[in-house]
Amino acid sequence: MFQLAIIKDTIPIHPQHFAVPPSEAITAELNKKYANRVLHEVGLCISVFDLADVGEGRVRYGDGFLWYKVTFRMVVFRPFVSEVVAAKVKSSDEDGIRVSMGFFDDMYIPAIYLPQPSAFDPNERAHFWLPDSPLKSTTDLLDTPTSERMYIDTNEVVCVRVEQDEFYDDEPGPIKVVEGVIQEADKGLGSKRPPYSIVCSIAEQGLGPIVWWSGAQVVEDGEGMEEG
Amino acid sequence: MEVVNARAALLSNFEVLSLLKELESDHLARTKTIQRIKKEEEANGTGVPGNHGAVLETSENLRTIEVEAIGYLGADYLPTSKQTSEGITKLVKALEPYNLTKAEKLQIVNLAPTSPVELYVIVEELEDRLGDRMEGLLERIQSIQGEISSSASAGTAAATAAAGVNGIVGEDPQVIGSVSWDNPTDDFGEDADAIYDEEMFDDSGEGVGVEGDLDLEDD
Repeated sequence: MFQLAIIKDTIPIHPQHFAVPPSEAITAELNKKYANRVLHEVGLCISVFDLADVGEGRVRYGDGFLWYKVTFRMVVFRPFVSEVVAAKVKSSDEDGIRVSMGFFDDMYIPAIYLPQPSAFDPNERAHFWLPDSPLKSTTDLLDTPTSERMYIDTNEVVCVRVEQDEFYDDEPGPIKVVEGVIQEADKGLGSKRPPYSIVCSIAEQGLGPIVWWSGAQVVEDGEGMEEG
Repeated sequence: MEVVNARAALLSNFEVLSLLKELESDHLARTKTIQRIKKEEEANGTGVPGNHGAVLETSENLRTIEVEAIGYLGADYLPTSKQTSEGITKLVKALEPYNLTKAEKLQIVNLAPTSPVELYVIVEELEDRLGDRMEGLLERIQSIQGEISSSASAGTAAATAAAGVNGIVGEDPQVIGSVSWDNPTDDFGEDADAIYDEEMFDDSGEGVGVEGDLDLEDD
């Protein structure tokens, strides 16, 4: 789930931090710059792991900062494709289920990756699965009795397999000028895409809510065993 | 800014949890120092407003991700909070004879599967590769994980104080062959002198040849 990335960067240290050992000051500045942010094609940066190489601090003409060239390793969150992770269901709608890990929310399970056959129940606002059912169409599935349905509720812990991840670099693009007048950038839905999103699946045996498959497990803390 | 290697190594959940807990304890120690300094200054009347250069502040983003990630990794449904580094080394050694890929071993450590269904999801072509050895593998995992829980719960009771976690983590830095993580300042063995010398302002610039161009390589 987590990886180490090696990154090179140049970091300014403000004179007020000269009293602190430079390694601490540099680490703090790096964390300020990178923590909780998505690096394109790398992943979600968590924190600096260590500093591999730091050059001499140099003063630039014009400001009093000491600039250090740093090579460091950073802990990055980027599950690899086909990895299985545990996450919580955040919300469901007709198109699929949104799943979250607390520190990372943009994980989606589109309807095609739900175990078949399953359907969305608009009353419960949740998807449900009918194991071993020969029914195909949504209307048939919605006719089944509620007690047979395996619901996937909000805040349930599920095991999901990562199918793919997408990075989206939100660049403003060139300024559009029409008849000598600068146009304001169109802040439509295009800018709402998350910079890093993961598509997951729960279509296989063993995936989905943990309680579905906990039959063979030793129950340590007495949680309920609803079996599929 | 240049990304030299986007995937230099894989980390287990346990390593990340330990790192984050260490960062959190550092942060708590720093906040206490700041508060203590403030109180002293108020008592003495010597406080200079806004001058806390001697103690660094933790960035908010780092705190946010720390808290959330510790919350996730420490959850009940994950085995991570009950693991120890010796336990993980033992588990990885026990997985040796089964010819699993690195990714599969990492997932087993992260998820601690105890039933065949869970293992089926992690390991591809389970029946072809393991067949009847699967039960043996599951039993191994279960026994080691059981050992870890019983020893760790005795250990963690005492170690839930933030400073205590460093004790568990600091001794055995070798986990799954990933690089040991010493204190960052250790890496400065050679450079330490260079940095401290360079902290003096360079006043000798005559206007020409001033060190203004950072893009040049070092001589």
